[in-house]
Amino acid sequence: MPLAKRLSYHVMKDLGAPLVMGLAAKSKKKRPASTRSPFGPRLKCAVRLKEIMTRHYFLARYAKGAKPVAWVTSGAPVELLRAFDFYTIYPENHGALCGAQRLGPEYCGIAEDHGYHQDLCSYARIDLGHALSGKTPVGKLPQPDLLFASNNICQTVLYWYRVLAHRLKVPLLLFDTPYNFKDIRREDIHYMVDQLKEMIPVLEEVSGNDFNEETFSRVIHSAKDASLAWGQILETMQHKPAPMTIFDAFVHLAPIVSLRGLPVALEYYQTLLAELRDRIDQGIGAIRDERKRLMWDNIAIWYKVRDFSNLFAERGMNFVTATYTNAWAETSSHMDVEKPFESMARTYAQVILNNSLNHRLELMERLIKDYQVDGLVIHSARSCKPYSVGQYDLRRILMDRLEIPSVIIEADITDFRAFSEEQTRTRLEAFFETLEASF
Amino acid sequence: MTRSAYLRRQKEMGRRLFGVFPAQYPREIFWAMNAIPVEIWDPPLETVNANAHLQPYICSVVRSGLELILQGKARMLDGFLFPHTCDSIQNLASIVNDYLGLEIPCCFFYHPKAPFGKGSRDYYLSQLKSLTGELEKLFEPVDPHELKRRVGQGMDMQKRLADAYELRRMGALAVSNTSFYRNVRLAEYLHPDDFVSGFETFLAVSKGENSKGPAIILSGILPHPEILHLLDQQGVRVVDDDLLNCNRRMPLTLGRAQDPYEILVENYFAMPPCPTRGSPIQDRIDFMMDKVRKSDAQGIIFCGIKFCEPEWFDVPQMVAAAKDAGMKILLLDLEVNQPLSGQLATRVEAFVEMLT
Repeated sequence: MPLAKRLSYHVMKDLGAPLVMGLAAKSKKKRPASTRSPFGPRLKCAVRLKEIMTRHYFLARYAKGAKPVAWVTSGAPVELLRAFDFYTIYPENHGALCGAQRLGPEYCGIAEDHGYHQDLCSYARIDLGHALSGKTPVGKLPQPDLLFASNNICQTVLYWYRVLAHRLKVPLLLFDTPYNFKDIRREDIHYMVDQLKEMIPVLEEVSGNDFNEETFSRVIHSAKDASLAWGQILETMQHKPAPMTIFDAFVHLAPIVSLRGLPVALEYYQTLLAELRDRIDQGIGAIRDERKRLMWDNIAIWYKVRDFSNLFAERGMNFVTATYTNAWAETSSHMDVEKPFESMARTYAQVILNNSLNHRLELMERLIKDYQVDGLVIHSARSCKPYSVGQYDLRRILMDRLEIPSVIIEADITDFRAFSEEQTRTRLEAFFETLEASF
Repeated sequence: MTRSAYLRRQKEMGRRLFGVFPAQYPREIFWAMNAIPVEIWDPPLETVNANAHLQPYICSVVRSGLELILQGKARMLDGFLFPHTCDSIQNLASIVNDYLGLEIPCCFFYHPKAPFGKGSRDYYLSQLKSLTGELEKLFEPVDPHELKRRVGQGMDMQKRLADAYELRRMGALAVSNTSFYRNVRLAEYLHPDDFVSGFETFLAVSKGENSKGPAIILSGILPHPEILHLLDQQGVRVVDDDLLNCNRRMPLTLGRAQDPYEILVENYFAMPPCPTRGSPIQDRIDFMMDKVRKSDAQGIIFCGIKFCEPEWFDVPQMVAAAKDAGMKILLLDLEVNQPLSGQLATRVEAFVEMLT
């Protein structure tokens, strides 16, 4: 890597980033908490989270040439890349960020103008829109030296990253994780371990760094600890009242997705966990009057997070668990520094979306019980077929077995052209009535 | 004889029938167990029941396949196979296996995705053997000699199909587009003994100079019968295709190994580039442009299926490459069994006019 680029990166890391973060913090006006607000006190950690993620995207501008850069899917075993010091960008996280800022249709539109069908995943269309125009709300994303995808979350990422590889002329590494129609099999593990080992020479060539198994193990250790901490954070919501909401968790999962394996992720989650435990000790709830506890299924509707957060909180309804946020904690126990490759295979091949629907059904039943859930909101996400196909059956079975009220919202993760405010309101009103009548 | 009448007859003859969803799978293993894989691509049914299980944004291949099961029209089947083709088929497998209360066993077949490493071949081999093991539990142990014979028969079948494609490309097959695809698609459910003899007759009676009309290539998932009919009416020749259920499942070279499983492995890795196997897009473009170069095609019709992600991600790159090569392009966003609307017919006619 060129010395000047490396110097520039380190100057920005040590001096530029703290300066920008400091200015940003000073310019941020704090709104006084309204006494009529249905919410409890804000999480203090939110400020730190913003700093971390802003810093991540700020430094990304200087990463190209200073560090090897990889664009990575959210379910890929990034620990391997960390061992080669890659700067990692998560297009899905960037897509969520664009979605939350209501930029989805604009960026998707750019991709659509280039021929990408409006029915394709909107994370992919946002990313392609960015790749084709350079537009991003974070200033600038570094061009990748490598693309790293795993189809453990969907096959869409494979189709999408093939397009990126074709357009950007960079190598694509796929971690192909056989779908667990039943249990994971020995030959599946062998196949995945072979793939990981075969990636090493490519990663060495692209990064210019040698593979060091000790570093790899250290990264796995850190990733495991962070994932376990994230799991403990989610578990705090088992408490009544829950010290945070799932809408908070949608935001606070950014480090476990984007910075997994880096010390900052672990440090952050330890701080957040301490704050949540403190809130529990003090009896502080995320919403002031938690009367009903809900579960969310599927990815967030990013452009509606705030609206939904208010809508439900005003009714004393708190989302206390979600299958989605759970995904980054569910399999972390498989991580094992003694068996780094095999444990990566086991961890990443057994995530929620790489298993049969029965696996999700069991998980949902467990979460409903553990989190004392009163109702279920299912987001049928047009963009995400592996998450959505089967939801109608899951809902029916859960209603039969547990008699739990539920509602399905037909929407999309970032493209609000696929969202009908009126239809959703009508469905939710009916759901609220059922929920209120169920006790 | 209709497809259902033929299948009933096979059942009466003591053959097993296995319903197979798209797209890549080793049909020879079924044949060796006296079973016929019956592919489920586009059953001609009105969708009524499947909507209770699938959202409106799920493709019509998956929807109509599920409808077939829900209408009780798959009762004669001895099992289902779900190859790992896309997210929707993957989850459909779960719905059918776990939530419909069927007593028909379901098998799942995972095929590795590109870029293929050293372990991919071993893994695919293990999947072939694992599938054999699952079928043996349902039926009886496979006879190695019978497997070898059926793998040989599969190669023979592929060779005849390749011959038919070559003759058509050379303009030496005097058949309509409709007739060509009707005969090729018989491979989706005929027993190989019947297919090979029937296809031989088809080739023998069809050899001859084709009518001289504008030539096109079809791309996409599967041929739409009404579009084929319309092209026939317009005097348009389809000279080649990279359709998923046709040419994209024909190995570019046939296996030469001695062991039948090894041959099946070689054949899988010799399949044309396809997004469902993770092939690089450039490979698929090269595959299509090679067809353009080897034929007198003037245009390409992309017969996409609505909501089909594997296909629609590739289309913009393929269209750009085809346009650069001076090809005329028509993009169709179709549903299986969708009647040809006046608007759609007009678009096809306008496209044909551009060619002429």
